[in-house]
Amino acid sequence: MTRLPLAAVLAAFFLALAWFVSLRQAVLFLVGIGMGSVLAGARFGFTTGWRRLIEQRDPSGVMAQLLLLAAAAAVSMPLLAAFPTDLGAALGPPSISLLVGAFVFGAAMQVADGCGSGTLYKAGMGVPLNMTILPVFALGSFLGSAQLEQWLQLGAIRPVSLVATFGPWEAFGLTCAGLLLLGLAARAWVGKGASWFNRRLFIGAILLAVLAILNLLIAGQPWGVVYGFGLWAAKVATAAGLFDPAANAFWSQPVNLANLSRSVFTDVTSITNIGILGGAFLIAAGRSSAAAQRAPLTARQWMVGIIAGFVLGYSSRLAFGCNIGAMVSGISTGSVHGWIWVPLAFCGSLIGVRIRRHYAF
Amino acid sequence: MKKNVSWLAVAFWLVLIAFFAWDWVASDPVNVRQEPPLIAAGSGQAPSGGHCASTF
Repeated sequence: MTRLPLAAVLAAFFLALAWFVSLRQAVLFLVGIGMGSVLAGARFGFTTGWRRLIEQRDPSGVMAQLLLLAAAAAVSMPLLAAFPTDLGAALGPPSISLLVGAFVFGAAMQVADGCGSGTLYKAGMGVPLNMTILPVFALGSFLGSAQLEQWLQLGAIRPVSLVATFGPWEAFGLTCAGLLLLGLAARAWVGKGASWFNRRLFIGAILLAVLAILNLLIAGQPWGVVYGFGLWAAKVATAAGLFDPAANAFWSQPVNLANLSRSVFTDVTSITNIGILGGAFLIAAGRSSAAAQRAPLTARQWMVGIIAGFVLGYSSRLAFGCNIGAMVSGISTGSVHGWIWVPLAFCGSLIGVRIRRHYAF
Repeated sequence: MKKNVSWLAVAFWLVLIAFFAWDWVASDPVNVRQEPPLIAAGSGQAPSGGHCASTF
């Protein structure tokens, strides 16, 4: 498929959203297309960046991610302070659930070769494993959210906002100091002589930061991915009579009940997810098949990958987000849970790359 | 292999589009008279969407 007909389809969907849903959702769809285009065009993989740091001592991907976090925080934190009632941060509670979820997510994302955004954009590009993983990711995300209350009962404290606690510029200073420490740790791990600058990834980081800020400004909430997946599966389970949302602690909350009865086109996270799929498809269109360049997976690799995809979805809900919802949005909007998520997920990734190697992915 | 991948991609997009079409038909109709402001910042309205970081 060439890009022109696909661009026409996306443009028609944009117009339909503007006419039948709302201009805000239509514009957020464009933001999602931008995210998908940048992720796919710059091959900005959070999972791959971490794996290259661990296995090849290549810090360029991680450095670009740190730049993304700093750039997004530089604008998001003052915005949150300027519009405290209109804009919300990605505040997750430090909890047992977060510790377990982030660690398991970090391991699973290496096996499944994609985090939340990675699974989306690779599915959009036609990578077979990621296309297959998407539905089980959604199922896992739904089940994780349905059992979130039980996980929270194991121990949790209230979310901590650096912006509300210290003020926007102090929070930004603390965030930069934390990112600098992470950067120095990465440099210490790879040693001298490693190239930390990758122009393509750095441009991707700046563009993603701009799009994340636009998401916050337009939607009033930070960029997220996995809530949308869980919502899609919850709708199917509810319609099939397999799930009663009114009897569930998470899905009986007014926000979630309302989302279950409304079209997914009215949901902020869903619409950017659809945009990411479309944007990645647009980039892949006209290129030689991304899948054809990869060796076919064995039956065992398929099974392991699909299980990892389910675990990815489940753990992302326990962790209050994936690399996007918890790391990018959490840290850039001053949530302490983002700072707990990163080291736990990285420790999980240390295990995950070994599992990946064991199954010869 | 390439042929199989193409079929998988076609199936993926068909299932996704079918889901969205079913959801549009099965969900409550959108009330365009209650359309949210284009930009949340400065609108005076609190964000009301679900997010993966929230517990509700």
